[in-house]
Amino acid sequence: MSMLRTVNIHKTYPVGPTEVNVLKGISLEVEQGEFLSVVGASGSGKSTLMHILGLLEQPTSGEYYFEDARIRYEDDRELSILRNRKIGFVFQQYCLLQRLTALDNVGIPLIYRGMGKPEIRERSMAYLQKVEVADRAHHRPNEMSGGQQQRVAIARAMVGNPALILADEPTGALDSRTGQEIMDLFRKLNEEEGITIIVITHDPKIAAQCRRSVEIIDGLVTPPADDGKPH
Amino acid sequence: MILKANISEAFTSLANARQRTILAIIGIVIGIGSVIGMVSIGSIAENEALKQFKDMGVDVVMVRLTKGSPSANVTLRDITALKEEEHSILDVAPYLRSSGSYSIGKKSIYLEQMGVTASFFGMNKIRLAEGRFISDLDENRYFCVVGMETAAFLRGIGLNPLLGSQIPLGNRIFTIVGVLDNVSDGGMRPYGLNSSVVMPITTAGRFFEKSDIDSFLALVGNTVSPVQAKTDIQNYFRVKSRELKVRVTTAEELIANMKKQMQIFSLLLGAIGSISLIVGGIGVMNVMLISVTERRMEIGLRRALGAQQGDIQSQFIMEALVLCLVGGVIGIVLGVIVSFIFARVSHWEFLISYGSIILGFGVAAAVGVFFGYYPARSAARLDPIKALRS
Ligand SMILES: Nc1ncnc2c1ncn2[C@@H]1O[C@H](COP(=O)(O)OP(=O)(O)O)[C@@H](O)[C@H]1O
Ligand SMILES: [Mg+2]
Repeated sequence: MSMLRTVNIHKTYPVGPTEVNVLKGISLEVEQGEFLSVVGASGSGKSTLMHILGLLEQPTSGEYYFEDARIRYEDDRELSILRNRKIGFVFQQYCLLQRLTALDNVGIPLIYRGMGKPEIRERSMAYLQKVEVADRAHHRPNEMSGGQQQRVAIARAMVGNPALILADEPTGALDSRTGQEIMDLFRKLNEEEGITIIVITHDPKIAAQCRRSVEIIDGLVTPPADDGKPH
Repeated sequence: MILKANISEAFTSLANARQRTILAIIGIVIGIGSVIGMVSIGSIAENEALKQFKDMGVDVVMVRLTKGSPSANVTLRDITALKEEEHSILDVAPYLRSSGSYSIGKKSIYLEQMGVTASFFGMNKIRLAEGRFISDLDENRYFCVVGMETAAFLRGIGLNPLLGSQIPLGNRIFTIVGVLDNVSDGGMRPYGLNSSVVMPITTAGRFFEKSDIDSFLALVGNTVSPVQAKTDIQNYFRVKSRELKVRVTTAEELIANMKKQMQIFSLLLGAIGSISLIVGGIGVMNVMLISVTERRMEIGLRRALGAQQGDIQSQFIMEALVLCLVGGVIGIVLGVIVSFIFARVSHWEFLISYGSIILGFGVAAAVGVFFGYYPARSAARLDPIKALRS
């Protein structure tokens, strides 16, 4: 089953009087349960692609199908609900709220489902256990190591039981050993829970651990999606 | 549930940015505090004034006589005859007043001086602390009754017991026959009875420099309307002398007048309060705008995690609302304390105006929503990506 499919996606940004073409026709297909890496040089448009796949940004042109349904960008509410229920994000800089404890950070996505506080806490705790930082539940981010913070961020991405996790350079701020632990965690989640995971990285060693890898070069993906493949 | 989460979120976020929170709150505290304080003081003052009317009853009218020419003359007899000639008037209490500083013993005192008839005390509902009132048998004699504060002064210079003591006023010696209980000012009562020396009106006529009787109180029978009594009194004096201007004020008119003044007062307070609340509200808006800018990453993150624009908007409005309500509560407490101190100092009965407290909460909430709306909307409309990349 298809997780997502993009057809000839372009993204241009206006820069002063001219514009810069970042994505020049991305056609990418990702099956459910895949563990995919997207590599590319810095500034090649990896993050831009992730934001489009994560419904945070609208492509300039092209079509995007998520679970075979075409995305309509007019309805912010619908996009928010999709992000909330189907997608989990992991960022390079963790993006945890400093004033909240690890437990409360993990619970944020559930707030927007209208879930009650006791249930949120219970579920958040379960996911902190899953990523093995339950002992830090009541600590704030600045009392944790980078690896621990990224684990909390992964728990936050997982807590809503999404179909897809998008990770933008998740190991970029970590030393190689800790980075390896995070990659091991992703692999475990992919194998045990069947979550589709897309890891964006510029590190070939990280990319090599994924089952499939695509590269963005000059605004296009290589190897490109096999358009002749039947669905 | 999202609402509840937003409320607790507002508290943690405000507690975190403590300095900014305090700055934003100050304006609201001052605004709400001054409104509540002044509205409370207003209602305490109104209550006090009305209480005095209740003390004296509304069946007393005050009459002021102004001479149009020197030949227009009213005698004491003309006034006391009023109660016999007009059925609507049960009793009259004419009085003369003057004031001056006197040295008694080695100290000096400022005294309100009053010349009265025996009816004066009953009509003004004045009570005695000791001795007796001036009676009509005291005519022309140098007897006096002293007010509470005057009595305290005299005791202070060693006059004890007061009753029967003699005090020199100018070139006359007065004998004290009575001491008044505390008399609060207001209503129809002549002002300053506590610091007074009260003597027979006939004595006063000779003792005071100015001896024209220009005002008196009249007791209206309870079957007659004060308005009827008013025309009766005016007609009575018109016959006596055409040159005489007679102004009759009923208790109802005085109360109505006072209420009107209170309304003007309240309007003024409302204006002052509104201005400080607008200033406070702009402060809140400013602080919220800063907060939105500082938390762009948070806003982007929340949007990525599934917050809808409405969720972000309500989060920030809730924060402004909590800010203003906390400021409002402090302001209300402060205002009530100020009005309590005011009531204490002026020896007035303290009362809490619950209406004004509800008003305070309402206004604080309205300010929060109104001035929080724009920053909240701009937070909600932030492009999640721009917010995340910042
Ligand atoms: N909002 C924007 N306006 C203009 N240019 C942008 C904007 N966002 C990204 N870019 C440009 O797009 C290019 C790709 O950025 P990005 O997707 O972050 O690359 P990567 O993640 O691969 O390093 C960069 O050259 C960047 O400067
Ligand atoms: Mg990037």
